[in-house]
Parts: sequence; C-alpha cells; structure tokens
Amino acid sequence: MTNRRNILKGAVATGALATFGVGYAGTVKKLAKGKWSGAVPRNEHLTGNSSPAEYSVNPQTGDIALNPDQAMSYTMCIGCTTMCGVRVRVDKTANKVLRVTGNPYSPMSTDPFIPYESSVAESFAAMAQAGKGNGLLNRSTACGRGNAVLQQVENPRRVLKPLKRVGPRGSGQWQTISFEQLVEEVVEGGDLFGEGRIAGLREIRDLETPAVEGAPEFGPRANRLMWMNCVDDGRDNLVLRWLKQSFGSNNFTRHGSYCGGAFRSGSGALFGDFKAMPHAKPDFSNAEFIIFAGTAPGNAGNPFKRIGNLVAKARADGDLSYVVIDPILNNAQNGPSGERSRWMAIKPGTDGALAMAMMAWMFDNDRINHDYLAQPSQAAADAAGEASWTNATHLVIVDETHPRFGHFLRGSDLGLTVEGDTYCDADPHLVASSNGPVPAGNAPAPLFFEGEVDTTNGPVAAKTSLSLLRDEAHRQSLEAYSEACGIPAAKIIDLAREFTSHGRRAAVDSHGGMMGGSGFANAYALSMLNTLIGNLNWKGGAMIAGGGFPENKGPAYDLASFPGAVKAKGLPAGRNVSYEKTSEFKRKKAAGNPYPADGPWYPNAPGLATEWISSMVNHYPYGAEALIFRNTNPVYGIPGVAPLVEKLKDPKVVPLIISIDPFINESTGISDYIVPDSVMYETWGFTKPWGGVATKATCARWPVIEPRMEKNAQGDRVGMETFLIATAKRMGLPGFGDEAIPDAQGVLHPLNRAEDWYLRGAVNVAMLGKTPVAPASDEDIALSNVARIAEDLQAVLKPDEWRRAATIYAKGGRYENIERSYDGARATYAFDKPMMIWNEELGSFRRATTGTRVPGTPSWREAEFADGSKVSDHYSKEDWPIRVFSYKSPLQNSYSVGAEVLLRIVASNPVIVGSALARAHGIRTGDMVRLTTPGGMLESVAVVREGIAPDTVAIEHGFGHRGFGAHDITIDGETKPGDPRLAAGVLLNDLGLIDPTRDKAGVWVDPVSGTAVRQGLPAKIWRIA
Amino acid sequence: MDTTRRGFLGAIGKVTIGAAASIAGASQAAEAAQSDTPTAVPHWGMVVDLRKCIGCQACTVACIMENAVPEGAFRTHVSVYELVKDGQDPAMVMLPRLCNHCDDPPCLPVCPVEATFKAENGEVLVDASKCVGCAYCVQACPYDARFINHETQVADKCTFCFHRTQAGLLPACVETCVGGARNFGDLNDAGSEVSRMLRENEVSVLRPEMHTNPNVYYIGLDDLLDGRVAGEAAYHPEMADSVSSHKEGL
Repeated sequence: MTNRRNILKGAVATGALATFGVGYAGTVKKLAKGKWSGAVPRNEHLTGNSSPAEYSVNPQTGDIALNPDQAMSYTMCIGCTTMCGVRVRVDKTANKVLRVTGNPYSPMSTDPFIPYESSVAESFAAMAQAGKGNGLLNRSTACGRGNAVLQQVENPRRVLKPLKRVGPRGSGQWQTISFEQLVEEVVEGGDLFGEGRIAGLREIRDLETPAVEGAPEFGPRANRLMWMNCVDDGRDNLVLRWLKQSFGSNNFTRHGSYCGGAFRSGSGALFGDFKAMPHAKPDFSNAEFIIFAGTAPGNAGNPFKRIGNLVAKARADGDLSYVVIDPILNNAQNGPSGERSRWMAIKPGTDGALAMAMMAWMFDNDRINHDYLAQPSQAAADAAGEASWTNATHLVIVDETHPRFGHFLRGSDLGLTVEGDTYCDADPHLVASSNGPVPAGNAPAPLFFEGEVDTTNGPVAAKTSLSLLRDEAHRQSLEAYSEACGIPAAKIIDLAREFTSHGRRAAVDSHGGMMGGSGFANAYALSMLNTLIGNLNWKGGAMIAGGGFPENKGPAYDLASFPGAVKAKGLPAGRNVSYEKTSEFKRKKAAGNPYPADGPWYPNAPGLATEWISSMVNHYPYGAEALIFRNTNPVYGIPGVAPLVEKLKDPKVVPLIISIDPFINESTGISDYIVPDSVMYETWGFTKPWGGVATKATCARWPVIEPRMEKNAQGDRVGMETFLIATAKRMGLPGFGDEAIPDAQGVLHPLNRAEDWYLRGAVNVAMLGKTPVAPASDEDIALSNVARIAEDLQAVLKPDEWRRAATIYAKGGRYENIERSYDGARATYAFDKPMMIWNEELGSFRRATTGTRVPGTPSWREAEFADGSKVSDHYSKEDWPIRVFSYKSPLQNSYSVGAEVLLRIVASNPVIVGSALARAHGIRTGDMVRLTTPGGMLESVAVVREGIAPDTVAIEHGFGHRGFGAHDITIDGETKPGDPRLAAGVLLNDLGLIDPTRDKAGVWVDPVSGTAVRQGLPAKIWRIA
Repeated sequence: MDTTRRGFLGAIGKVTIGAAASIAGASQAAEAAQSDTPTAVPHWGMVVDLRKCIGCQACTVACIMENAVPEGAFRTHVSVYELVKDGQDPAMVMLPRLCNHCDDPPCLPVCPVEATFKAENGEVLVDASKCVGCAYCVQACPYDARFINHETQVADKCTFCFHRTQAGLLPACVETCVGGARNFGDLNDAGSEVSRMLRENEVSVLRPEMHTNPNVYYIGLDDLLDGRVAGEAAYHPEMADSVSSHKEGL
C-alpha cells in the first residue's frame, strides 16, 4: 500500500487493471513460423479475426457500397428501458448479429440527429468519415450494454420450445411440450400436474360471477387472471387488448413500483396526475445549473445515452455546471470537468430534508419566482407571458373538522352560481383579495394568505397553497434538516443560492434513487424546486417529452377498439384505489370505525406490483387463479419479497402460473409453463421516449433476423403473439381472428399473425399528422434490408400503404426533425395543466391503515411503516447503525447477466464500504463481510472507498442471480449445470424488509406511492474474513 | 507498470498509469495540425476528451465485438478511478486506454521478425503472417496495449480499426462513443475535427518520458496524474464458486 497522500485509487471494478492481456510462454517452438519478406502485408494478416467492414464510403463523394455478406437494419435495442434506435449489422448467411451501433435518425442515440428526410444511403454516409465533422458530427452510438446484449440472442440457456414443469414449482425440472399442447392445457385446465384439478383460462374468464362473493366492487371472476409485465417494450398494446378488451381482466401491472415508481408518483403529484405520472427533464443542453438527486447522468437513467451525451457535452463545451446529490460517487461526476461537475454525499432516502431546507431558505430570502407563481390560471399565465402556471394562489380549506378539509375552496362554497354540478370543473377555484375570496381570473393573485373566509356554511380557515408549502418548509429548522440529510447547513444554503442564481436556466432532476421509506414525499419535494423557480416549458429549464406517433389509433387502422370488446371492470387486486370504495370500509364504518383497514390502500398510486404478491398470498382483497409473468422478474426485483415467494410456490395459492419469457429467470422459474419468446432483434414493437426528448419520436422494432424459437403447427414462430392469438381463438374471444381490426372505412381485417398487428401499426405511425412519411424507395428498402419483410408488407397492407410502412422500418421509426425542439425561448411541446403546489387528492385522503392524513404539499418525513411508526421505533440506531442502499450499474441490469462480455469487464459486485466505517470495523478491501438487515443477510467481498456517505454500504444492482442459468436447469432429463459466473455477486433485494406492522404479510413500501424500499435499509456489518 | 500478468478477473493488482504530459509531449502531430496544406496521405490520430468520457465501456465492448477479442484480453478499455486528494472531495476519472500508435514505437525495434511496422497512415500494425508470438513487443510497450492472442497465437493489439478506416469508416470505439470523448481523424489535415481539437485545447499524452511520440492525445488529463502515480487498482474480487451466501430462495 502506498501512502495516503494523493493516491490514485481504482474504483468501481471497471477495468482499471493495467493489464491488457496474459503472457504467452510457449514462444520458442513457434520461432520458425515466418520471416520478414519485405512484401506488403495482406490486410487479413493485419486485422486478425476482425469482422470485415459492413460497408465502405468514398470520403470524397460520400458514395457507399454495401458488403453483400452483411445487412444493416435500423431497429430498436431493448437491452434496457430506454429502448434506443440502433443500427444492427447482421451476417446474413449465419443469421447472426455481429455488432450494433446507433441510428442517426434517432434522438436516443444521436445528437444532433439527422433530418428524417435523409435517405438511408445518406444516413450511412453521415456515420462514416465523409464530409463535415468526419463522421463525428452525427455520431450515433450504442452504450456498453447495448453493444453487448446481442449475445442474448444466442444465449445457450434460451427457452426455444414451450416448457411445462416436472415436479414441484421452482424445482428447476422441466419437460418440453408442443405449442398446441400448451394452448390446450392452459385454456382448458384439468389435472395438469397430478396435483388436482386446475381451472383453465376458459373457465376463469367468467364475466358474470363476482371475483369476491358479496363485494361487487371487485368485478367479475375474470379479474382473477392477473398479468405482471415488466416495461412496455412496444408490445403492451396487444397484451392489453387481449387481457382487458378480450379476456376482461382489469389486473395488469408493470415493474415501476419496484423500479423508480416513487419518483414518478412524486412527480405525478406535482403534475396533477397520479396515474400517468408525467415528469419533466432538464434541458440538459441549455441549462446553466442542474441538481441531480437520485439520478446519475451518464452512469444510469433513462434515456441513458442521451443524457450521458448531452451532459458530457454541456459540461465540456457548454455552460452547464451541476451537482450530483447521491450517497455514492459514481460516473455521473467527472473529475476532469472540475467545478463544472461536483458530488455531494447525502444519507440515503433523505432528499426531502435537503429539498425542504432549500425551499425554506428560498422563502426566507425571497428567491422564489413571484411573477410565475402569482398567475392563478392559464389565461393569467398567457397574459403575463408565462409558459405554465400553478395553483400556488388557490385557497385550500385547512379546518380539520371541515368535511372538505384539504380540498380547494370553490365558488359554490361561497354561494356563487355555478354552471353544472357543485365542484365540477366549472366551479371556480378561489384566490385571496382585499375583498375576500374571488374566483381565479386572468390577473395575478396574492401568493400568501391565511385566515378565515366566509362561506355559506359560516367562516372556515383557509390558506393559499403556497402558504401551506411555506408552513411545511418551516416545520423544521435548517439545522434539523441538515442533521437529517447529512449535508452541512452552509452547503445547503450555497446550493439553494446557486440554484436560484440562474433565472429559469436551472433545474432539478431525479429518478429511481427515490426508492426509500418516504420516497414519494422526497420526490415531490425535489420536483417542487423546479416549480418555485418557474422553469417548466422554458428552453434551458425543465421540459416534458415531445411524445410520439401512436401506432394503435391512427388514420388508417383502429387497433384500440373492435366489435364485441369487453370493458374490464372492478377494483384491481393491487389496492391502488380508495379504501373508501370497498365493502370492507362500509362494513367497518357501520360497525363504528372504518380505520384501520385490514391492509394498506394507495389511491394516489398506479398499478403496484409490489403489493400484488401480498394480495395473492393473503387473498386480500382477492387472490389470483392464474398469473402470467411477461418478460418480468418481480421475484428478483422486489426487495424483501422472498418470504412471500415461498408461499407462491404452493400451487394452492395461485393454481396456474404461466410465463412468457425467453429465459428462465427467478420469476419464470416458479411458473408452471413457459412460453418461449423472441429476443432483442427478433421482436416487433413501437416505443416512444419516457422523457428527455423534446421532439416527437417513435422507435420501430422489427425482426431483422429470423427468430430462433421453434415453429408451431401453423408454421409461425412460437412467442407472445402466437400465444395470445392462439389462446384467444381457442376461447373464442372477441378481437382476434379473421375479422378483428377495423380500418378507417370500418372494414374488418384479420389478426391471425404478429404481422397483422404490427404492420398495420406501422401504417398508422406513417400516416399520422398533416404530412405522412414519404414512401420508401427501392434503394431505402434494399440498403436497410427491409426487403426481408417486403413480402409481408405487401401481403398484409394495401397497395398505397406498404411503402410508407416500409419507410418506418427502413429508418427505424419516425422522428420529428430537431428544429422542432424549441419555439423561440420555449419548448415546442408544453405541459399545459397547472403545477400542484397543493395536491388536493393527496391532501384530502386518509391512509387506510391509520386513518390519518399526509400533507398535500411536499414535506420531509422520516421513513415509516404502514402503521405510521418510524423505522427507528422498531430497529434502533444502536442495533442497526448502518444504512444500505443500491445503485445502478452502467453495464449490468436485472436481465443482462447472460451477455457474457459484460462479465468480462465487471465480473461481480462487491459491497462498497466507506473508509471511516471500514476503519471502525477493521475492514479492508478484499475482506469478506457479513451484512445483515431485519429482512435478510448476505456475505460478500468489501471494497473500501472514499466516495460514499458515512455509515452507509452500497450494493450495485444487477448481480446475485439464481435464475438465468445461475442454478441447474433440467429439461427432458438433461441437466445444464448452473454457471457460477452468472451467480456472481449479491443482490440488495435479499436484504429488503417485510413490513413488521402489517397483519397480512407485505413488503415494506412507501406509504403514499406503495413503492418498494431499497434505499436506506437499516443494517449492521461485520468483517468475517 | 503492472507486469504481473495475472488474469484480468478475480485478481488484485497494483496499477500505474502513465504521467500526463505537457503540450511538449504532443509534438509532431500537434504541429502538423497547424498546417494548412494537408498531405494526400492521412495520418490517423485520436483525441480523447476526458471531460466527455462517461465510463460506459461502449468502446470496450464494441471493440471486442468488432475484433473478436478473446476473453481475458482487451485492445481497449476504460480505466475508472476514484481520485483522492487531501482536503478535497474524491472525484471520478475515466481513462480510455489503447495502443497509442506511436511515431517512435518501442514495440517496433524489439520485434525479431519485423512483424510490427508503421503503416502508411501511421498505424502500428502486426503482420500476423510473420509474427512468431515471442511477446517481446508485449513487454516493450509502455502502455500495456499488446497481448498474445491465444486464438491466433500472435501479438494482438488495437489497429485503429484498420479494416474500417480502409473502408472510410470510423474505428468501432469511436463510432460508438456515447459521450463523444473519442475523436478520430487525419492529423495531417488542419481542417479535420481532431486537428481543430488539438489547436484549441491543451492536450497531454501518456508517458511522455518514454518519447514515443504517440498519436493518442488527451484533453483534461489532470496534473494530479503527473508522474507515475501508484495506487490501488480497481478490484475484481475472487468470487466464490457457489451461491451459498444467498439466503433461502430458489
């Protein structure tokens, strides 16, 4: 060990060894191999095993020539949730993807991206050493993972034939069955495993019998089929058609509640929509100052590459300075950028304390944007030249005894005449004036007011939203906030001052790092900082996504509705609805006190995968008869879920579990059947950016290689689409078969193959807007190898349609040109609804488990359990002095481990321990340590670092697998042994907690958003070797 | 330099990285970049702007895919460091590393069979038909940029993607560089992007004391790295070959 002065420490196990290779000992025997002849070496002797170039470009003319053995196609990477447009290079003979790079039409991969009108040939030339910028100007990229995950196509552990379990669930024993047998068994049911009779999908699809006897609010028995999805990879519209409109189940969820849901919910509170949960992103290229808290630009995030690229350029060439607030120092910070890029350590899960402290300082020092916040309506904002508006000035009823506590004061409360029902949209919100409350008009209104106002029912206490926020910010002292988050008070003030020193060219950005025990409130607080400076919809401020060109309801075909469609009904099993709507509430209320409910309810949340497994094992509010996992992995992803999963292995709990997945992961591993599915570049789909792209962008994915799954009796590749279509047709469900998809004239077209669906979607994408895309030329079709699907395009589509759909595939989607990003100083696509300084839904609901309320504004709240008790009430700081948190890897995610090349760069994930904590425990880099929480224990190797908050331990996400081939898999009696490389490392979720205050077992979640808790788990650590 | 040559994974190693040079280290090509009259023959060079590297390893993986680099070896990768200075916050430094295609390459004279040579556009290449795999060049390279490819049994290294530049394409690592840190082009052409970058920025090279006249330049290689600074390597822990540490699960 060298001395500690100015030492250079290798960090995150990402290839810091200077060694490029290993030595070779057997030299002498080869000395006779050859001698220098003086001849010019042949190229193949110079480039080893390198792939021959896919095309060549004449640097002078820009003319291109293809390598006839290879194809280049624009499609989509689904190696993470960003889903970038990429260019895939295929060895045509071997049907093998050789390499992937970016699609220069796509903003996800390119900045600046090329005009959509550019021909495919021009797009190829743009990325070569021809013309201005030498190919660097429109450089279009794939990330490390994106370059690697093509290996998943040829992963030797892929499921290529339908599998049925042999022996108990989760035993790793399977048999292959035919697609036809699979469909028959899951539809018709029967004694499928010699364990007794199981209801099939046909029987479960009962639209008459209630799901719960005596509780009609839960809808029909069909709701007892539940579908767990991961992320919308561009195929969910077909899934939702099958599940909701054809089968009639209302139970569908994705992975958000155990991913970044707390942030999305907190942002949803600000944007006034708890279901769609809109969020804005900083204008990375034009902002002067950004605070990143709970997100790490360039290290992870969505859109990963775009943010990484824009932030890198802005800190090097532009005007951007930024601070990363994170418990761990990671690639988001960049030493060579000096003061432009700073890191500030924070205790995990305490961002709300920081944000509320900043707000308090901003209120006290008059650093809020008065002119913006004072506009009480769209009309007022328009008149004042503001780009958005807020409810800061609106009056809220704050009398706790009032039946409308927490709601806005409305015109009808004062006896004003209202057109329509009381409290309908036309019932005006009120603002303060010297003459008492008046309807919000088109002029600025007072920001602060508190006092009694006269209503038709007498005087009532009211405050403006902003007064309520100011009160909440002042609820604790700067010192208390500082103590809570671990950031010195002076630094908090500096941060607030800097944040408010750039006008609207500053922003706060957050995302998945909010997953703590008060994550929702933290995210709402961070997001609110943007509103207090009024940066929304401004260039250099915060901007929402431009959106896309939706494929499902367009000018050519209606993929969203069809004759005979069912309307799925009933409260979903995840309890993301008001408890007050349930029979349980009414029953308990009649008996005296409706609170507490038997379990938590989350009216201000989207679908909650975190709660689903609890619902299923406790049958509260009701259980599942059948469960479908589609390319998802909640067993790996939900912290603390392991004890519930043990119960799920009992077929009596959920009698039928079907997985649709290319791999046997931790979740599909406990299913009864696995339907093989397409991988990466074999699949279809359409996606749009989540955020961070100001222009409209739809990325199109299509099979650029022949899929590897086996074919069914009809000759179609087995996969999700074939499974949905076959089961729907066998059950006679509406919306599938020969007459399923209406065109603009109402003529019905078939839905018998995947192509019937996606190609018609492509026509919609192409035809939307004033100017449809141009038809693809023969050259575009040839160069992009859309020729591969040209027969299908012509067979499925009308003669005037197919070349426009071909353009969508030739260019990998449809993209508005970059000039549409801004309209002068504003974003072209503005969010046009008010920002919620006070969120009425939040401020007026009661927590089902406590009967208590939470503030309708952001607030700083310690992490807590379902009954409102604090974590420290159960797990004292003395016994559990450490806080554990996870962080995202730049390379690995929860489903990429099978791309072996990633493991060559980072083989595992040691636990990261701060130097002071390490000293206190005698831990040195390389030591084995044991980490224990109330929920679990793991042992791993420690790496000691400086860049981590005191008394915390960090675990990189993406390792510690048991699925994907980490353990033995036996199919038809043949065992593929587990590969320890795939099992390497540890999983933070193994340390997650079951909430000790819940009667019906459930994992620890945020009390408002119902999202998983993995940031700030109470823990202790020992050195064990 | 680390010459322990232990396997890349699962080993603890000391690491040394080269010193940052002053502008003096970047002599020849940087001067050429001032010239207004490009010669007909390009001289390839790379300018790495460390302020733009995000450590995503896209270059590392793209290189492996493009060049079928065998397991255990790299033609390029990005070293990631946590830089710790007294009295300052720790900071991240991502350092892309590759063959520097030196104009005075130490690997060249040691080759007993003249397999290593400077190609027309300045690349240092190995003629596999001559190489005998003696690994003298591997030892001679001050940048640890060479290895013996156990599949081809000859010396292997970055070629600046010779097969791609011949076709008018960019090297794979440059084409896929997410942050825009790696920039490639003709140093003989004053109008090229790389020449512009050399003119407008203070640049450094690795290990200037070796007088290799490298063609890989760095922007933002901090003075902290001046001199041969030893420290702890990134750690690739020896992982147990079982999963016994997992609690009860699948």
